[in-house]
Amino acid sequence: MSIQVLVFYLLAIVSIGAAAGVVLARNPVHSAIALMVTFINVAAIYVMLRAEFLAVAQVIVYTGAILVLVVFVLMLVQQQDLPEFHGGRPLRIATGFVLGILLLAEVLAAILTRSLRGQPGPWTPDAVAAVGGNIQAIGRELYSAYTLPIQVTAIVLLMATIGAIFLARPETLAERIAAARRIFTISLGHPKGTDLGPIGELPAPSQAELKPASFTRPLILAKSADEFTEQPAWGEVVRR
Amino acid sequence: MDWIGLLISYIFGFIVLNVLLLCMAYMTWFERRVLALMQHRVGPNRTGPFGLLQPIADAVKLLAKEDIVPANADRLVFLVAPLLSFMLAPLGALVIPFGDSLTLFGRTVHLYVTDINIAVLYFLALGSVGVYGIILGGYASGNRYSILGALRSTAQVISYELVLGLSLVGIFILTGSLSLVDILREQEQTLTLGPLQLPNWFILSQPLAFVLFLIAAVAETNRAPFDLPEAETELIAGYITEYSGFRFSFYFLAEYINMIVVSLMASTLFLGGIDGPFARGVWWLILKALIFLFFYVWLRATLPRFRYDQLMGLAWKVLLPLALLNIALTGLVRLWGLGLL
Repeated sequence: MSIQVLVFYLLAIVSIGAAAGVVLARNPVHSAIALMVTFINVAAIYVMLRAEFLAVAQVIVYTGAILVLVVFVLMLVQQQDLPEFHGGRPLRIATGFVLGILLLAEVLAAILTRSLRGQPGPWTPDAVAAVGGNIQAIGRELYSAYTLPIQVTAIVLLMATIGAIFLARPETLAERIAAARRIFTISLGHPKGTDLGPIGELPAPSQAELKPASFTRPLILAKSADEFTEQPAWGEVVRR
Repeated sequence: MDWIGLLISYIFGFIVLNVLLLCMAYMTWFERRVLALMQHRVGPNRTGPFGLLQPIADAVKLLAKEDIVPANADRLVFLVAPLLSFMLAPLGALVIPFGDSLTLFGRTVHLYVTDINIAVLYFLALGSVGVYGIILGGYASGNRYSILGALRSTAQVISYELVLGLSLVGIFILTGSLSLVDILREQEQTLTLGPLQLPNWFILSQPLAFVLFLIAAVAETNRAPFDLPEAETELIAGYITEYSGFRFSFYFLAEYINMIVVSLMASTLFLGGIDGPFARGVWWLILKALIFLFFYVWLRATLPRFRYDQLMGLAWKVLLPLALLNIALTGLVRLWGLGLL
């Protein structure tokens, strides 16, 4: 067992363990951290395959940019807003399990029978060393044979950036008025006062106190908060 | 498998790491003294001669403090996040050449821990992963001010990372390699500017890149005037709020190590590293790194803090276009010669 094989097994085991951690972790931020560990171990495996540029690109792009964005979003989402992770109907769980096993069987078949191995290309290690290294070889290929895909990728990224900027644009006044028109104010200003019971009867507001809402927002007078909300108001005693 | 070479690399790495930690501790002393003298006061001068034992006193104090973990905190991530920052910080010094190669007992001993052909990219990758120490620390504190501070700091770091990387592309064009040893070798050549024969240091052929790198480096290491995320008057202390005792010092010291490593990189990339008039050697590298470290402290003493939107606007609207302009200009000059580069 040479040292390379030992190191490879170590990296592979940690990668797979971390990948399992991504799926099994309860907390989504823990999943993201496990994914980071996976990415870095995969980058190390790339280094073992003498693809150093790919390894560093993996760390910079995947770990350092994409996963940071994922962690940003996960941090801003509260735990209770997320859909239920556990549970789900038994049929769904069973279907998922079966599909997972099928996928694993397919991948194992492809790996073990080596049926997906392609032909070696022109960039043998000698050819790579002849042009001066990995980066030079990648540069030569990318900017001569793959110029068009690079330009297309650049345009796709530009479209994504423009889309993001458009979605995050500040609202104009007209948009805000239109949005305000679509919502309405619920007022508990019933002429008889609120029905709070044990807290006590508040005096009924006079007609002069019921001012119309601004932006020509429609005003709805409700008798109790239960008609429109699920959460009890502060001080409200919920009788079931 | 070259076991002896590996052992030599390990020993050299061990030495580099220990020296780096010592320098980090005395960087705190250096900053406090220089900052104080610039502000017309004295700084620590009681503990030991000239206050030289102050870092040790600080370390003892911080170690003796109670370890507080907030009840709301995500315990495992809270404990790991400062360690992540602190562990990734010194790794950038592994690729810096500290001298020419020696021959000891018939073996060539290199005075760098490793010479990978993507050395500068490796340094940038460390900066990318170092963001996680901040973002996870802020998240794990369970305090909304910490999360906000961490988000701000992360956004700042990833924006200035871009500028950092792009400012160095001009050097890659001129050298044709990303290896620091090759970049040093390129800087040994002579640059003829009219009657002057100067060493081909990249500060002369890439002045715009130098300025951009310096600004981006100050912002990357969260130092003044870009230290909004950790300033005391903003969001309490940002992502460091809930950390006390030695965990706080992990973040704090990670920042100093980052400063030192960035100064070493800047000296190697732009000022020729170990190159100097009479004798090449590590002393020139130390002198140049000290100049950058002094510059860091000088900036802190002099400039007021940037507001967050000014900070981000500077990165995206000013520095990034300038970096792209630098790349275009360098490419053009290289392509058409003009007898310059």
